[in-house]
Amino acid sequence: MTLIQKGRVVSLVGLVLLGAVYVRALAFTPTEATQGLAQKIYYIHVPAAVWAETSMILIGLASIFFLFLGDPRLDRFAEASAQVGAVFAAVVLTTGPIWGKPIWGTWWTWDARLTLTLLLFFIYLGYLVMRGAVTDVGLRARYSAVLGICGLLLVPFIHFSVLMFRTLHPQPIVLKPSAPSLPGVMLVTLLLSFGVFTILYIGFVMQTYALALAHEAGSDG
Amino acid sequence: MGDVLRHAWVIARKDLLLEFRSRTAFLSAAVFTALVLTVFNFGRDPTAVATIDLAPSILWITFIFAAMLALNRAFQLELENQALEGLLVAPISRRSIYWAKLIANLMFVSVVEAIGLPLFVLFFNVPIGNVLVPLVGLIVLATVGFVAVGTLFSAMVIRTRFAELMLPVLLLPFLIPPLIGAVQVTAALFAGRPLSEVEGWLRLLAAFDMCFVTLATLLFPATVNE
Amino acid sequence: MVEGVPQNGGYMVAAYIVAAAILVGYALSLYRRPRR
Repeated sequence: MTLIQKGRVVSLVGLVLLGAVYVRALAFTPTEATQGLAQKIYYIHVPAAVWAETSMILIGLASIFFLFLGDPRLDRFAEASAQVGAVFAAVVLTTGPIWGKPIWGTWWTWDARLTLTLLLFFIYLGYLVMRGAVTDVGLRARYSAVLGICGLLLVPFIHFSVLMFRTLHPQPIVLKPSAPSLPGVMLVTLLLSFGVFTILYIGFVMQTYALALAHEAGSDG
Repeated sequence: MGDVLRHAWVIARKDLLLEFRSRTAFLSAAVFTALVLTVFNFGRDPTAVATIDLAPSILWITFIFAAMLALNRAFQLELENQALEGLLVAPISRRSIYWAKLIANLMFVSVVEAIGLPLFVLFFNVPIGNVLVPLVGLIVLATVGFVAVGTLFSAMVIRTRFAELMLPVLLLPFLIPPLIGAVQVTAALFAGRPLSEVEGWLRLLAAFDMCFVTLATLLFPATVNE
Repeated sequence: MVEGVPQNGGYMVAAYIVAAAILVGYALSLYRRPRR
């Protein structure tokens, strides 16, 4: 099987399992008493957010290795991760407000997760737009690596600044939607969802990588 | 290290002399700053929101826009007449080039800010007399961060299509953490709060500066190596 | 004070649909991109 076929299989498995997680979350996980059904958005929102951030970290690491090793596979992986990271960020940025409205009363809150994901989303878009604007392949890879490493370094700064900002300006949170102490059943659902998003990330990256590879081969041949 | 700085200063001097002889870029940036401040004034309702609440944001957004203008022309000089190639074959390290651009940009932006700050005080009636020194210190601290990343990105962006549009798109997400810090500290200063209250933000800004100046120095050669 | 659980199921459904749409939509777009 070629890489793209393998990627498709993995993605398909991921989507089927996503369906299973949906069923479990919607039908077989208890409803949170204070927040109601809307709390269940959490099971999709959080794993997506984790992978949106992890994508950036992986891009940063791949970029560092790329600058030392010059292996174009690392650059291709970084591009794939940026695309998939942007998609997952989109999931976070859409489910976030839909969750925020019933829980916190407003569509958008500058909470840590949403703010970080929004900035990451902008960085992903900038990364992809820049790649589109550079024609030379070698230059494009180097520029992307520079941007990727800077993005990686920015992540802790975003975390700290958002944390300090929110400590200074506490939002009137009556409920604690991100309560870490989840009862067992809910925790399992969350972990299963996280596993599914991992599979989806891998499948999507495999496909995007393979497509980039094919595209390069196509333009050379 | 001494060599790097020495070479950097020579190149920076050349850039700055060119800038200030022609004065066009500099005047445009200064006028632009004044215009932005004017727009801000007419874009708000003084009876609805107290000036002092908006003032820090207005100041820093203005400075960021001005910095963006300055950065856009940073490598423009080299691009014309292919002077960049000349710099690259000169027996100086790539890092000198980065530091040269960094120093030149900092000087340029500082002068624009030095004009912008009094205008800001004038237009918005903000009493900064007794916090002038810490305010200036803060402006330097934050500007170094903005310009460090901006210089690196402008080196890359100059060779892309739509360079002027690309720079803000790439740069602004990176400016947000230091911007938050700058605004918070400025707000504290305007409100007469002691600096110790915003120590965390100052540390964040200092850390940002150190990390990104270092990183940019390390990464800059990758943007110009053939 | 005994309050009923907030009736916000509609939001949950909306979010789940949107998320699925994005992920499935992306998967489809990858499937349909020109292959070698």
